[in-house]
Amino acid sequence: MNRKRMDKTEKLSFQLGEIPVVFDIPVMIATTVAFLVVLALSLLAARNLTMVPTGLQNFIEMIIDFTSGIVRTNMDEKTASRFYGFAFTLFVYVVVSNELGLMFNVVTSEGNHQNAYAWWKSPTADINAVFSLAIAITLFAHLLGVIKSPKLYLREYFKPYWWMFPLHIIDEVAKPLTHGMRLWANIFAGEVLVIVLLQMNWLFAGAPLMVWIGYSLFVGVVQAYVFTILAFIYLSQKISTHD
Amino acid sequence: MQFELGTMLFQLGAFVLLVLLVSKFGSRPIINMMKKRQDHIQQQITSAEESRKEAESLLQQQKEVLEQARLEAKEMIARAKRQKEKEAEEIILQAKIRADQLVKEATREIELEKEKALSQLRDQVGLLSVQLTSKLLEKEVSDVEQTKLVDRYLEQVGRVQ
Repeated sequence: MNRKRMDKTEKLSFQLGEIPVVFDIPVMIATTVAFLVVLALSLLAARNLTMVPTGLQNFIEMIIDFTSGIVRTNMDEKTASRFYGFAFTLFVYVVVSNELGLMFNVVTSEGNHQNAYAWWKSPTADINAVFSLAIAITLFAHLLGVIKSPKLYLREYFKPYWWMFPLHIIDEVAKPLTHGMRLWANIFAGEVLVIVLLQMNWLFAGAPLMVWIGYSLFVGVVQAYVFTILAFIYLSQKISTHD
Repeated sequence: MQFELGTMLFQLGAFVLLVLLVSKFGSRPIINMMKKRQDHIQQQITSAEESRKEAESLLQQQKEVLEQARLEAKEMIARAKRQKEKEAEEIILQAKIRADQLVKEATREIELEKEKALSQLRDQVGLLSVQLTSKLLEKEVSDVEQTKLVDRYLEQVGRVQ
């Protein structure tokens, strides 16, 4: 019943020829909010830049240092510098997306529980949104690999023996799958438990809920870190392994 | 849970747009500033190092100059001392010479005076003895004799003188 409740969101759908195009409205709302929050944060930090950083600039510089460090551990300095902006955006966007759903909960219901609609959730608690990111990153990695050297890119699939080719295919499919699943499952589970605790009696809705939300905030940051680090591991595998 | 192409595309579009916007207007200026700061610090460290080296070399130079000045002063003092000693010696020598000269002159003068006194004394003695002798011989000696005698005597005195 909780799963159902969690899943019940307003959809916007139409047919594009034969293909059904479905938009999830709460995810779109949350994505837009996360988008605006991250954009506002970075623009505010980039305003009035000073040699001696203070306040927000200092904080954002710390995050940039952190994400740039992730990139540098996977690539050489020259290649890495092209991905600093991407790494920073990815990490901060995923963190904000992870935490959004924990902030508050908007549910409207018409009459009974069966008709309740959730209007607010983390974009990363939606499997479509997460897979969109994971698949895009994987495709991006493959694209960079092909652009760098198509021959070497193809040769990777037959290493160390030609008959390992199927294993490589499984590997390449598993990468985005696990990449997305890991993030989605963590955040989704966090939010499900929040709703479960909310629906239990008052004994669970107090301190345990607070503890769980705190833990989920922590998990949100850790999972964003893991997601970013995996993204760059996959990218670097395609860019630098065949040197 | 179902496959939603719209959600995926929306998500992808939003994310790509966000990456572009944040990279261009957010992270790039900040990263540039961080790099600038790093360069600045690097430069500061380098220039500080240079200043330190320069100061060290200046100090060394100053030390050398000071040492040289000290040596020069020492030499000057030594030279002055030597000069002074030489001058003193010369003065003493001159004084000695002068003193010798004075002594010599004085001796000669004394000698002269003595000579003069002696001759005067001799004259006096001669005259006295003549007078005494003439007084004694007044009677016995004739005028001729007396004249002879006086002449001889005078001659003798003249020879002595």
